[in-house]
Formats: sequence, structure tokens, C-alpha cells
Amino acid sequence: MNLKVFSILGILLLSSLSGCLSGDSNDEEVTLKILTYDINALSDELIGQFTNQTGIQVEFIRTDDAGGILDQMMLTQSAPLADLMIGLDNTYLPTAIENGLLMEHSASMDNFTSSSLEFYQGPLAIPFDEGDVCLNYDEDALAAANMTVPTSLWNLTEPEWNGKMAFPSPMTSSPGRAFLTATVDYFSHAPGNESGNMSQWWSSIADNNAIFTSGWTEAYETYYTGGYGIWSEGYLGGAYLTVSYCHSPGVEAFYSENYTHSTSLVLPRASFHQVEYAGIINGASEVEAANLFIEFLTSSEVNVNMPENNLMYSILEGTDLPETNGYRFHADDAIQSNAITQAMIEQSMDDWLAEWQEAVRTN
Amino acid sequence: MEFVANSRDVRLFQRSSNVVRTVAAVVFLVGSTVPFMYALARLELVTEWSAWEALIRFSSVDGAVQALQFTLLESLASSLLTVAFGLPIAWCLSRYQWRRIRLLRAMLAVPFVTPAIVASMGFLSLLRPDGVLAKCGIDLRLETGIIGWFADASGWANPGHFVALILAHAWFNLSLMIRFVEPMLASLDPAWEEQLSLLPAGQRRLTRIRTLWLPILGPAVLCAAALSFLFSFTSFALVKWLTPNNSNLESLMAEAGSSAGIIGYRVDSSELIYSTALVQFLILLLTLWLTAQFQKQYSQRLSLLSEVDVRKHHGTPPLAAKLTILAGGVFTLSPFISTLFSSFRIRQITDGATEHVWTLDGWRNAWSGDLSTMGAQEAMTHSLIYAVCTLIVALPLGWILASTIYHLEQSGWSKSSKGLDLMCMLPLAVSALMIGLGVLLGGLRWYPGMFDWFLLPVYPHVLLTVPFVVRVMLPAYHSLDPAFHEQCRMLNLSHIRSWYHGKLMFMRGHAVVAGSLTLAFSLGEFGASWLLVRSGSWDTLSIVIDQLMGRPKFDPLVNPTAMAAASMLMMLTFGLFVLAERFRPHDDRSGF
Repeated sequence: MNLKVFSILGILLLSSLSGCLSGDSNDEEVTLKILTYDINALSDELIGQFTNQTGIQVEFIRTDDAGGILDQMMLTQSAPLADLMIGLDNTYLPTAIENGLLMEHSASMDNFTSSSLEFYQGPLAIPFDEGDVCLNYDEDALAAANMTVPTSLWNLTEPEWNGKMAFPSPMTSSPGRAFLTATVDYFSHAPGNESGNMSQWWSSIADNNAIFTSGWTEAYETYYTGGYGIWSEGYLGGAYLTVSYCHSPGVEAFYSENYTHSTSLVLPRASFHQVEYAGIINGASEVEAANLFIEFLTSSEVNVNMPENNLMYSILEGTDLPETNGYRFHADDAIQSNAITQAMIEQSMDDWLAEWQEAVRTN
Repeated sequence: MEFVANSRDVRLFQRSSNVVRTVAAVVFLVGSTVPFMYALARLELVTEWSAWEALIRFSSVDGAVQALQFTLLESLASSLLTVAFGLPIAWCLSRYQWRRIRLLRAMLAVPFVTPAIVASMGFLSLLRPDGVLAKCGIDLRLETGIIGWFADASGWANPGHFVALILAHAWFNLSLMIRFVEPMLASLDPAWEEQLSLLPAGQRRLTRIRTLWLPILGPAVLCAAALSFLFSFTSFALVKWLTPNNSNLESLMAEAGSSAGIIGYRVDSSELIYSTALVQFLILLLTLWLTAQFQKQYSQRLSLLSEVDVRKHHGTPPLAAKLTILAGGVFTLSPFISTLFSSFRIRQITDGATEHVWTLDGWRNAWSGDLSTMGAQEAMTHSLIYAVCTLIVALPLGWILASTIYHLEQSGWSKSSKGLDLMCMLPLAVSALMIGLGVLLGGLRWYPGMFDWFLLPVYPHVLLTVPFVVRVMLPAYHSLDPAFHEQCRMLNLSHIRSWYHGKLMFMRGHAVVAGSLTLAFSLGEFGASWLLVRSGSWDTLSIVIDQLMGRPKFDPLVNPTAMAAASMLMMLTFGLFVLAERFRPHDDRSGF
């Protein structure tokens, strides 16, 4: 028995040494380091394809979400650990630009949709997917509870919605931050501003026992009654409405044989057009490889598959969601998406977050 | 002449041994405290608070007081539940002749080394609305039925979630009770009980408990309870998944962790981390000190009889003991079995109707890596490589540290010995997030190239596992008879051979236990993730599970794939533990 144990340990030791040796033999290879969150699109297969085409190895440094990418870039500003970031959205991008965290790329943006370039067209970041963040609600639950579909965000502050909403926190979640930005827009214009401002609305929402979660996953998967969460371990339910994407019901249908009882609440200015970007980190050592990866990511053969691979829209002209299983049918378009600019986010995001925190805390 | 040469040789050997011990102690202490100190210094710079100010301002940090209250409450309740569940099981296990006792022990001990994320998934699948518990009317998740009635009657928000959490912590820490109590009871001379029953103090159960069992079992139970408190206090994944409406200090820090330590950016995060980490550190330091006090009393009690003789005396287990062990086994294995079942179940929707079908697709996907950065086979290889590298460093380091503590104790340096013992446990008291922050900031300042090194995650793994190696090896030194080594020297054997025959041969059982524990902890540890660096090329099985669980689960295949990967890790860990049990010495009192 002893011999067997020592043999097993010996094999393990040898395999560890072979790992060390193989690591050394790859010294001459170019390795591109990508800072990202767990983006579904960057699958093993896709990376293999890139390596086969270019001979460049890829390594990932992962954070939990877009906010984590920005935090990591800020923290390692003096000695960046990665060459390329993938996943900052337009609510975080201005902060990255303002702090000089990105450098110019050389990729072309010729065939990009106008919506993807509306927010930022400069050389420091390039869009790779997009989608509208908006409220989703459970049609069946509303019908069963005899509730009416809201026609204004103020409806959500009424007693019938007490405790029936889940919002990801804008402090820690990028869809949460996107929706906060949407509310800034909504309450800065008619019809939202007729009886108060963003801060008052959030305060009333907190007062109406809304559930606040740290991330989108908890809000959608754990609390939302209209999504796939109802089949998941850990489901709690209780929220008939949450923040997700206008096309999330389409994604639900795509994976459930054209069935969903979730739909998006498309109110004027109550959505935020989210664009996710890739950008070369200032101080990167593999700039050429980073540019090649950006070209690969935004190439039609890769980017056209964003709806299936990353559950977001492609940023290329002439593309759309697939029709399979009602993906496109159940996906809604946002009406009059926000008019928040890069400059406004750069200037005011910290204030909005502080306002939100104060509004929620006092309740 | 030969005597002079020998004594010079002995002095040289002792001097070299002292050098090795000093170097090991310094390396470990520097490695475990410098990152923490560095992180504290950075947080002081960002917040412009002194450590004292950070402590005073704790109550003004958003959510901190509530988190502290919840942490203390759940840790205390978890410790009590661990004692309530563990004591009867340890009692029954220790007193009778059981067939396949090593397998039983491994089964009851394996939760302790189960990765927290796997444990969380196991409990969640056990608690799901169509699960066994809910069908029995105990719905701890949605809190319907009797739990809902209790919540309404008591006005306590989410009692079901709280019960689920402390149950999970008791499950996790059950082996602590068994490991501390079982060796004590298994070697207790049955004559003591018989003699006591003849005395007036032994006529009543209450007086028997007070006269015999409390003094004998008290320190062991307190040791296990204190460690159970410690591990429940720092629990993160179980709190996050099982009590989503509450935060403990660890989960509160994890939420704000990534934005801490950046000058002029999100200072509120730095304030939160600074205050909370210091408060947590002080409480855990106090807990470790208490544990050390209890352990001292515990280790003073000696084995009185051979375990085999005692078991023979008590004979085969009665039905009540069998039922108790069966209940313990069911409790231990249920989350694992539930996870395994979930790995074969996939939801299917046809015309709006949902059903679950049985399939191997989850296992196929986990193996091929279609939904993650790599397949389970590759990830498992990486996990094993990290585990072996951790073993190569942590086992000798922990062994040398245990030897140093023992030698200081034997040389009359009692305070230094206690101090070093406490310092070796420090990595368990310091928030992993703080060490990660310190390593990152320090590394960036002095040697950014270190983040390119694929073996970097071994560092946190070593820090985490060395305290356990020390705890396992220290009792081995205490139970070692120095006469054996002296006799080897008298036979004029070389130092190496004397050490081999006089020490190693008596400690190899403990060493194998320490080694298997190191391997198991390393396999389940997310060490690299708290270093904020995860290399895609070197993802481990734990990280692949985490990746899969973090994915939006619109695709019905994601969940069974995650469960399949978790099942693979469980089997690997269980296999290691069964292997280790074959070598566990009967007098092992490490508690692990």
C-alpha cells in the first residue's frame, strides 16, 4: 500500500515538474494578457481559433464584473498586469479615459452600427457588443396578482409593488449602474420629472421595500419570478420586476423552445443603451498582439455570433438577433434611449452614486 | 578522541537544526504578516485614518454593525449546533467496535475539506422547492409551511435561511468534534466509569456528567467549538448563497474589496475594508488565543489504554449507536448526493411545460470544457499540480515549525513557544482579501514580474495549509518518546538514520494525514482568486466551478455542467481522505 501511495505522489510530482518545464519552453511565444470578467464569448474554442491564426497565446486575468476591471486597472496603473481589457461598458469607460488608463488602438470601426459609436468614437476604446438595459417583468405573475403593467416609473412606488422588485446595486453591478443612469435621464425629462427627481424616486423605491442585490445574477436568478432562476438552486422569488436587458426575454425564449413569460418594460427614457468596449491598457507590453485580438473580436466571423455567444447584440451593421426559438421575436427595442453623454458620466457619475446611496440608505 | 568528534558533530547538527528552524519561522512569519501590514499601510494612506481611528469609526461604516451582529450570531449558533450534532456521533463512534471505521471517519470528515462553493451548491440543491426536505414540509429556502408559520409567529425575517446556514456550518465543522472527542473517549479506561458507578457521585447521570465527563470531554468540546466558531466567522460562500438577505463581515468586505486601496478613488471602500478587517482580526485573534488555551488543557490528558482494548470492552454497537452514525452519514452525504443528482438533471421546456430529464450532457460538457475556459481533465491536472507543489512546500515548512514550537517548549521557552504557535495560526485570522491586497500592492511595487509566474497561487495555498500542518504535527511531537531517538544515537547511528528510525517512523502517520489535508485544502482553495490574478491557462477545477456558477444560466446545460465539475472535485477529495485514513494514527488529536 505504501508503495502505491508513494508511486501516486511520485507521478503527481513528475507531472508538476513537467508543467514547470513546459512553462519554460514557451518563453519565446508571445502571450497576450487580457483583463476581463467571465465573458461567455471568450470560449476555449474561440481563443484556440485566435491562437491558430496568429500564433499568440492568450491568458486571462479575471474579475467579477466590469467594475472589477476598472478597479483592477486603477490599482495596477503604475505597473499594468494585462495588455488588453475587454468588458468596460459606457458607464465605466469615461472614468478609465479620465484616469489615462487606456492607449490608442489601430483597429478599424468602418462597419460598426451608429448606436455602438454614438457614445464614444475615439481611439482609446472600441465597442464589441451592445444592448439596452431596461426593466423586465413577469407577465404571468402580474396577471395572477391582477396588477397593471406600469406606464411610468412612479407606478413602482405604489403599494401594489411593495416588496416585488429587485434591483442590482449601481455601486457593484454594471447593469445596476446602467439603470441608475437611465433614471437620471428619465427624471431629467418629461414625463418622468413631473413629480420629483431621481433621488426622490429611488428613495420611494427603497421605501417600497425593493430588494437590492450586489449583482445582476442575484437579482435575476435568485429573486426574479419571470426568468430561468425559477429552475435554479437558490431561487427565492418574490420579485415580479427586475433590471436586465430589453432582449433578455428573447434569450429566455431561445433556450426554452420559444417559451417565456418575461417581457421588457419599454418606457420612454427608462432604458440605457449599454455598449461594451475593448481597449489597450496604457503601459501594455504586447500592443501589436492586443490590436490583433481587437481585430479578431470585431471581425464579422466572430462578432456576428455575439447574440448566441455573449447574449448581446453584435456591433456590426446588417446583423440582428437570430430568429431561432423566438429570440428576435421576444426581444424588444428601447424607446428613445437615454441622452446621457460621456462628458456627463465623467463629470457626474460619482455624484449620482452618492445620491443613490444616500437615497437608499435613508430608507 | 572519538567522543570529542561526536560531541562536536552533535553541536554542529544542533546548530544547523536551529538555523533551519529560525529560517523557517522567519520565512513563514514574514510571508504571512508582511502583506497584511502592507495592506494596512496602504489603507491608512488612502483613508487618512490611523488604525485606532479605523476601529473607532467601525460603527459609522455602512452596514458594518449589522454585519458584525449577524456574524457573531451565526458563528455562535453554528458552534452550538456543531457540538449538538457532533458530540453524539463522536461518542458513538469512539465507544464501539465498528466495521470499516476508517471509511466511516473519512465519510464524516470529508465535508471539512470540501470547497465552500461545492458545499453551497450541495445545500442549495438539497433545499430546492422540489427537494427532499421541502417534500417533508421543511422548506428552509422559500419558507413556506411550518417555517413560514414560524416566521410569521415570531416576526423573525428569514429564519429558514439562518437555519440552513448554521446547518451547513455544522455539516462543515462536524469532523472537528469527531477529531477532538473521539481519540479522548476511545482511549479512556472503562474502569473509570465502572468505579464511578459504585461511588455516591456516580449514582445519578447529572453527577456522573459533572464528575467524569465534563472534566474529560470539556476541553475537547471547547476546542472544537472554538475552531468551529472561527471557521463560521470567516465563512463567505455559504453566507452569500444561503442567506442572501444578510452579510457577514467577510462577505461585506468581499463586495467592496476590489476597489479598496486606490488613492483618490472609492475611498468609502477603503474605509469599509480597513475598519472591518481590523475588527475581524481582533476577534479572530482572541478566538485563536482561546483555542490555544483549550488545546493546552486538552493535550495534557494522556491516553490511558489502547483504543483497540477499549473498543473491545464496549463491544459491538447497539442499535441506538448504529442509528446515530447512520443519521450522521446521511447528514454528511446528502449534499454530495444531491449535487451528484443535479449533475444528471437538465430542465427541458416543451410548450411552456417544464420537466427534468436525466442526461450525461453535464458531465460531457464539464469534461470537454464547452462552457468554461477549459475542460475538467485539464483543470484537474492543474489543481493536482498546485496541490503537489503546495504539499512540497507546506509539509516540510509546517513540520519544521511544529518541531520549533515543540523544542522551544521543551527548552523552557514557554512564552516563545506559545507566541510562535499563535503566529502560525495567524493566516486563519487575517482576511484573505487583505493578504491579497498586500501581495498585489507589494508585488507591483517591488517585483511586478512575479505575477507572470504560474506557481504564484501556491503562495496563498501554503499560507492557508501550514497552520493545519502545524496543528497535525505538534501532537505527534508531544506523543513522541525521546528515548527512541536517544537509543538510536547510542547505537551510533548517523543523524539522518537516527532521525529516520527514532522520529520519522513514529510520525509518518501524522505526516500522511497532514499531507492529505494539505492536498485536499489546496484542491478546493481559491487562493489565486484572492490574489486578484487568475491565469486562464492555469485555471484549477475550483475556479472552473466558480466560472460555471457565475455564468447566466439561460442555457439549461450550465447548471448540470457546474454540478458535474463539483462532483468530480468531491470524488477527488473523498478519495484522498479515504487514503489518508489508512495512515491516521489512533492517538491523533490534531482535530482535523
